[in-house]
Amino acid sequence: MPLFLLFHRLMVRPLSREPVRTSLTILAIALGVAVVLAIDLAGGAATGSFRSSMETLAGDNDLEVRASGGVPESVVGTLATLPYSIRVSPRIEDYAVITDTKKSLPLIGLDLVAEGSTYAQSESQNAGGPRTQRASENVFEHLGDADSIWVGSIAGYKTGDRVELLINDQVRKYTVRGVYPDSNGNESAIVMDLAAAQQALARYGRVDRILLKVPEAPSLEDWQQRLRTALPAGVEVRPQGTGTNENRRMLAAFRWNLRLLSYISLVVGAFLIYNTISVSVVRRRQDIGIVRALGASRRVILSAFIGEAACFGLAGALLGLPLGRFMATGAVRLMSATVESLYVSSRPGTIELNAASVLLALVIGVGVAVASAYAPAREASQVSPFEAMARGRREYDVRMHKARDLWLALVLGLAAAGASRAPAVAGKPLLGYLAAILLIAASALAMPAFVDALTSFASKLLGKLFGVEAMLAARSLAASLRRTSVLVGALSTAIAMMTAVGIMVGSFRQSVVLWMSNQLPADLYLRPAGSPAADRHPTISLGLAEDIAKIPGVVAVERLRAYEISYQGMPATLASADLDVLDVIRWYPHSEFLSGRPQQEVLPELRHSNTVVVSEPFTYKHHLKAGDFIGLSLGETQASFRIADVYYDYSSERGSILMDRKTMLRYLPDPAPSNLAIYVSPDAPLETVRAEIEKATAGHRVLMFSNRDLRTEAIRIFDRTFAITYALEAVAVIVAVMGIAGALLALAIDRRRELGLLRFLGAATGQVRKLILVEAGLLGLLANFAGLALGFALSLILIYVINKQSFGWTIRFHWPVEILLGALTVVYAATVLAGLYPAQVAVRLNPLEVVHEE
Amino acid sequence: MELAIDAAGRPIQMPILSLQDVSKDYLTDGQPVHALSGLSLNVERGEFVALVGRSGCGKSTLLNLAGAMDFSTSGRVLLDGVSTSSLKDSGLTQLRRQRVGFIFQSFQLLHTLTVFENVELPLLLAGKHNPREVARERLGWVELEGLGDRYPHQLSGGQMQRVAIARALIHSPSILLADEPTGNLDTTTGNVILELLRRLTREQNTATIVATHSIEAASLANTLVRLRDGKIEEITRR
Repeated sequence: MPLFLLFHRLMVRPLSREPVRTSLTILAIALGVAVVLAIDLAGGAATGSFRSSMETLAGDNDLEVRASGGVPESVVGTLATLPYSIRVSPRIEDYAVITDTKKSLPLIGLDLVAEGSTYAQSESQNAGGPRTQRASENVFEHLGDADSIWVGSIAGYKTGDRVELLINDQVRKYTVRGVYPDSNGNESAIVMDLAAAQQALARYGRVDRILLKVPEAPSLEDWQQRLRTALPAGVEVRPQGTGTNENRRMLAAFRWNLRLLSYISLVVGAFLIYNTISVSVVRRRQDIGIVRALGASRRVILSAFIGEAACFGLAGALLGLPLGRFMATGAVRLMSATVESLYVSSRPGTIELNAASVLLALVIGVGVAVASAYAPAREASQVSPFEAMARGRREYDVRMHKARDLWLALVLGLAAAGASRAPAVAGKPLLGYLAAILLIAASALAMPAFVDALTSFASKLLGKLFGVEAMLAARSLAASLRRTSVLVGALSTAIAMMTAVGIMVGSFRQSVVLWMSNQLPADLYLRPAGSPAADRHPTISLGLAEDIAKIPGVVAVERLRAYEISYQGMPATLASADLDVLDVIRWYPHSEFLSGRPQQEVLPELRHSNTVVVSEPFTYKHHLKAGDFIGLSLGETQASFRIADVYYDYSSERGSILMDRKTMLRYLPDPAPSNLAIYVSPDAPLETVRAEIEKATAGHRVLMFSNRDLRTEAIRIFDRTFAITYALEAVAVIVAVMGIAGALLALAIDRRRELGLLRFLGAATGQVRKLILVEAGLLGLLANFAGLALGFALSLILIYVINKQSFGWTIRFHWPVEILLGALTVVYAATVLAGLYPAQVAVRLNPLEVVHEE
Repeated sequence: MELAIDAAGRPIQMPILSLQDVSKDYLTDGQPVHALSGLSLNVERGEFVALVGRSGCGKSTLLNLAGAMDFSTSGRVLLDGVSTSSLKDSGLTQLRRQRVGFIFQSFQLLHTLTVFENVELPLLLAGKHNPREVARERLGWVELEGLGDRYPHQLSGGQMQRVAIARALIHSPSILLADEPTGNLDTTTGNVILELLRRLTREQNTATIVATHSIEAASLANTLVRLRDGKIEEITRR
């Protein structure tokens, strides 16, 4: 208790005398904690929904039967007639859009005779009443109606309501026959009879999945084996929920990268805590000496400063908790949009701030603060009573081992270079991450030498250019080398992250733009209306392509079809293109293939043969190359395909396989296309042809894009996927700038005697203000230089190591000069502005009070 | 500068510093403190004045008023004929730049600057270019010519105080104000400093006011002003 009282009086209470600086430090920690927490919560919500909708409604089944392109209905019969006590539940699974609300919900077709009792309930039963005979009869009464649906209660409909649904490119009216209980909105779906779903989706003769409930003995693996032997070769039997796990694995890299980006703010916060505690130690050297002389042990001193840091960390964590929860809401929106665009359909789950999240925030806040404070706290504990109490002492600055640290920085830099060349570990770029951390550490170690060299060199020049205030500012920064180095280190780390991500995104964007210039040879593109997603491929009605082909001015209509498949336990897209149009399309001069071969040489190889081209992410995930063979389960068949070449593909990280449409139809005979690419004669006016196409598609809900529209839309989606990255960068920069403001305030207060002296010597208040602002400007300039250099090095790791090993994309390096310059200018301006309040404090110091302190 | 005329019409030189019935009150933690009460004092050019008195008698306050660092609560302070109460902060700054040099007990040199740079600082703050030659000359006055490129931590206490004196004289001030200039020095060194101050006062025809507890300083002064509780108890002129 006495020690706690002393701690409060000597360490905690003094913090209240500098409310602005204390608040800035706590806020910096809070932001760092909030960002990490927000990304963690948002990641859980954005990706946790895979257990919802389809899987939640899958009930307690054990196994699922799947096949690329759908499972033939005959397999249902085969399973049902096996001499085993298995519950067989065939399903159609897709999405429908409620036209009123534009909300997209899962659409599930079930054998309602067998399974309908779960869903076929009236509102009175939802309120807790007993299921009546009337309700059961209700199911059978309307089972044969193609317009009957059942919806979850959260959708807000009641029995008898009419609902308009967009399914593929058709809008149809349906009648709600019943509402089933739907407690948290995650289970909400539109349920219809299997036959009605097949009709609505034009998926005749097939189902998407067959769920199986098997007896407990023998084991699940034995059942899988047993059933595989009874089913056609192309049909897969696997544990139910495997799809969810596949998606989760695929998203792991995305979540990891975001998580690591969120840690940057914490790293910046760590620098600032280190600086704050260092300043505290310097200011209190005399107090430390007194307390040591009065009997305090070194351990007590160490604990006191660690405790001070822990107080900052705890306060920051407690503030960061609600802030993080608030930020998670926005983060979920951004992440869900990215997940949907690039990966898989998802509906965000709820953000759960539970005990684990609270513990995470506390551990991060207090842990980072304590870890950062250890070195200066240890230094404080080494102070001898005699040294700290000597009269006439000047400010003590720890002897900097510049040369030693520079060598260490070199070693770490070389280690980073080595780590960056290592391959991925279990599919994750772990050594790439390590290389980035080593580079940041190397930069921090090299900072004192860098700051010392530049400030010493520049002080005279600055004096000549900007006056004596600039010279004094440079000398002051050089004299407080440790403090200056830590501040520059903090801000440069944030700037480096901004630069690295900016270069990576800019390079990525440029690669995408270049890639798209080869990818979209057609003049117009058509797809079904509704929200697109990486794993959803609604189809266009049969016959529409033929109708459009007849329009004058249309030279060719290419039908493209895509399916979601699973290859070696990972989701992939199987697509086909109409290679008959090869004779009429314009070839682009640049190759889209890794081999460099032109399209007109590669694509004809695919015609009428079991030859495919695959995307770069696909080859990276499955360690394949041109010339290899892949086995695909298509329909009821297992077939082998040769990889003719590998193409660049930035549209999705899932990995894609492209074959000739005619080849696909041999295995998957559904002819409905997912998209149409329309080629218009150069002699025909595009707008006239477009207008004719719009007439032809009346009655279909389709969207038409020009070549330019599609490129613009693609870039818009691209930019949106990085919105959360930009937000994380901004937070890191804000944390750093706040730290600068707090540190400049501390500097102004610590140098009050010097500033007061200048007033005695004839300095005007404006000159004192200028001195502080020049210091802020110098800090910003040093940080910009260091940050740019570090950011460039980090960008190489991001582009050539982390991105490549995470996603498999080749990105061509590109300097986004304008964006970088703009961002750096904004940061620099913010740094100078951060000096305004400390400058004002410095100006308001009473020189009489500060100089005559004896 | 105000000029008085004698009966024969000849101009009478005004004192370089004139405090006329000056009082200074201020608040410390809400408590009123009467630092000076109705104090009147004139100091002429070339006069070496020692201000003596116990701690808290108002010596530093008097120096601050004399050096245009503060305003009196009542009365007038005329520095080289200019009334300081008529000036705003910028005016006081200008006055200090031109007329006043300060010397402190703990030297108050900037440790990030060399000796030359410390001495030049007031001229640079005043916007003057190329002060190096003037600084060199002033260092010659205090017999430190060869030490211009050293840093304060490389000097002894006496040397640091000489640098501070050179800095105080760089702009040829009308008045030098020294607050316990020998307080951090040993007796021998302190005496050397005091002798230096007296010599420079005579040679440069500045007025020097030294607030001191030192008997030696008191004995070297032309004028001894004894303060007590913010009032002048006695003025002895020699």
